[in-house]
Amino acid sequence: MNISLKPAETFRGDFSARNSDDAILRFPFPFPEDAYMYAVNIEPHVRGGPTAAYDAVFDIDEHYIGECEDRALTLIDDPLRCQVLPHMRLAEWDTLELLMESLAFDYPSLFELHRQGDQWRWVNHPLGIDQSFTFGDAETLPYPPFEYITRQVQGDFTIQDQRENNLFMDGGMVTSQADWSLNFDLGMSFHEWHGPVPVAHELGVFDRALAYLLRLQFGKPVRRLNWTLTVNPRLDTSPENYPEWGPDKATITPENVGHKMCLRVELQTLTRLPRSNAILFGIRGYLIRLEEVVRVKKWGRRLHRVLRDLHPEIAEYKGMPRYRQTIVDYLSAFDDGAPTNSGTAPEQSRL
Amino acid sequence: MIKSRPIYTPFQIDPAGRTHLVATDLAKLPDHIATPEIETWTVETIAPGIAAPAGGMTRAFRSVPDLLSHLSHRLSREAAGFRLYALGKEAFLWDIMNIARAAGLGSGEVFLTQLGSLKRRVYCTHCKTMVEDVATNIVTCPGCGAHLFVRDHFSRRLAAFMGVMVDAEVPGEVPPVEEVYAAWHE
Amino acid sequence: MARIKNIIALSPTIKRIIFEPADGNLFPPAAAGAHVIVSIPGPTRVWKNAYSLVSKPGKRAQYEIIVRRVTHSRGGSAWLHDHAEIGQMIDLSLPANLFPIDWLAGKHLLLSAGIGVTPFLAYLAALKDVGAAFELHHACKLSEAPAFEALLRPSPHITLHTSRNTLNVTELLARQKLNTHLYVCGPASFMDTVTEAATRAGWPSAKLHTESFGGATGGAPFKARLARAGITINVGPEESLLEALEAAGINAPCLCRGGACGECELPVLGGIPDHHDHFLSDAKRAANNAIMACVSRAKTPELILDL
Repeated sequence: MNISLKPAETFRGDFSARNSDDAILRFPFPFPEDAYMYAVNIEPHVRGGPTAAYDAVFDIDEHYIGECEDRALTLIDDPLRCQVLPHMRLAEWDTLELLMESLAFDYPSLFELHRQGDQWRWVNHPLGIDQSFTFGDAETLPYPPFEYITRQVQGDFTIQDQRENNLFMDGGMVTSQADWSLNFDLGMSFHEWHGPVPVAHELGVFDRALAYLLRLQFGKPVRRLNWTLTVNPRLDTSPENYPEWGPDKATITPENVGHKMCLRVELQTLTRLPRSNAILFGIRGYLIRLEEVVRVKKWGRRLHRVLRDLHPEIAEYKGMPRYRQTIVDYLSAFDDGAPTNSGTAPEQSRL
Repeated sequence: MIKSRPIYTPFQIDPAGRTHLVATDLAKLPDHIATPEIETWTVETIAPGIAAPAGGMTRAFRSVPDLLSHLSHRLSREAAGFRLYALGKEAFLWDIMNIARAAGLGSGEVFLTQLGSLKRRVYCTHCKTMVEDVATNIVTCPGCGAHLFVRDHFSRRLAAFMGVMVDAEVPGEVPPVEEVYAAWHE
Repeated sequence: MARIKNIIALSPTIKRIIFEPADGNLFPPAAAGAHVIVSIPGPTRVWKNAYSLVSKPGKRAQYEIIVRRVTHSRGGSAWLHDHAEIGQMIDLSLPANLFPIDWLAGKHLLLSAGIGVTPFLAYLAALKDVGAAFELHHACKLSEAPAFEALLRPSPHITLHTSRNTLNVTELLARQKLNTHLYVCGPASFMDTVTEAATRAGWPSAKLHTESFGGATGGAPFKARLARAGITINVGPEESLLEALEAAGINAPCLCRGGACGECELPVLGGIPDHHDHFLSDAKRAANNAIMACVSRAKTPELILDL
């Protein structure tokens, strides 16, 4: 797979990040229908899907370098954004192996993995890394294994320990989260971690999701999409830094909403890890400005309808009330009321 | 009621256990909870130099940290079939639970009963300071000065409720402060 | 797909079979406690049996299982003993783990009987690798003791019991510290004895891990009518409902093939199931609207399934 990597753009400060036409067309748009409600919405995670974002097991896109740099900055500021509880040692190595194998397979021009028994050599061309190490021996890597590899992949990751018929969030690299705290939630069970989500509990969504995930099989990963809205293409919208990004929400005007307001989509993957029997939860985030997403005509129409008719409790939970009307007014200009097909594919190959 | 809130049980001895220990942060358990035949640890503020009362099955500790430290030591020498019962305010219950878990105890072996103060321990998400005994829905963090809204989202690991800045979007726009967690719970 | 690389007889009734990947690549890494489902090519049908991997966890060049020839076997293990040959191609599933080590434990107490020791052979490699505290007690028949001694190599932490009298489960449990987890694997009667002793000792379920090797049993033949497919299949006395469905070309889901994991649950519309599983709740059993296809049978001559 060949992608053209941008040199570092910023996802904070001056927010220089932009999506190229290719990036817009490959965006994992989350709404297959004109209305949105919570559902388990899990499907097999196979290579291929409605857009190119689904082509690799772990997607690398043009923002790779900028996102890795943003992660590194966040970790300097707050090292507790990456924590793994001591009993998850095997899951760390499982994660490193899975990510290295997948990246080297899907992007052979960017990443290489050479192995002789437990003597491994990992080459990351975009970041200029050439690391020889002993698989299983943490002393031979500059960071603990989970942190080492997740610093080189886009998206957040958590590792769930399976025990007592439940899943416990016992580790994570969380620097691009949609407003939840790793340090606070570390160690929580499945329902505890999802505690703050409204509406879904009454629908039994989490009971069914947990029952399903407890039987997740090795070799059969699954995926689903989640979404929210973010002001500016800011990756770090953590509760820790809410004092920094909270004020952005009050700066939205009809004139700037198209440029500043971003649709934030998480392509979430769930993979059973072989040595630890843990589950790796990948939260791959994508940010697109409203003015970018409406260039795909189908998505402009659909997004308007979804946000206009959204359940108020869900809108509240996703932090929208302050600017929801401004967004809907902006998007209405891109909705001609025409019937729109189901499915999330863009249905155009050029903008 | 957020799903991550723990649910507590009324005090009841588990007949499947063989050794039982009751621990409370109160000086004396309420009359309707009787533990005459069971080893009970309490907390009573007694000045150093004065012997702490110890009679029958009850032992009083000078402070909660003192009780917790003795508990760690005790659990490392206990055998299977042990049951631990904690009664007291919420932060105390989870401090006990964390020590119990570190010693290997799990669900079915530790029982938590909320008693006494409903005041909350609050974790400031922004500067990681713990604020004890919060009775209000909004509290000023002694660490960073932020006005924190006290959420219902609870971390058993940190034994605290989540506090997040309430006026981040429009600084100074702080809702009225209400005393909501002060009641005494029997 | 795998190839049989070697077969080693450990005793007249116990064989070790070593597989290597057929395509020259590597097997996926497996954890201690994992099993694979072996598709055994019998003369008239394929048996699918689950076997614990006994090879060192993480070893990818080969997988090893240990098969005991069961005298009243429905065929699979007997075929492996009598007909498996080096060089033969056999289909192995990806590994699945329904009996993992709980790494929160400060000490791992392993109790097994007979062929139930197999997952613990992999456990021993994993526990020794990190210097974890453990104790293993294995009960077996006197005649099989030499084979198990060779497999286990008794040490201060590993004890073989050939008589009922030397393994005192109650006493063993009473002296465990609070951070010991108990793992039990063996035939149903052994499992029952140990779990009853654990309950009496006040042992909490969160620290009790079991893997049952009971598995499917035969029984009276019955018919299974598939309401939606509109066909009826016969379930013979020597095969399970799941096996009959598979033989009829129906791809029914399964994972452990031992009635424990819930994967093979099928909705029942008519007839009365004869439950042999460890998964369904008492309420669900009484409602007779579900059946675990891998181990359960029927009390009535016909079952109607929503398939």
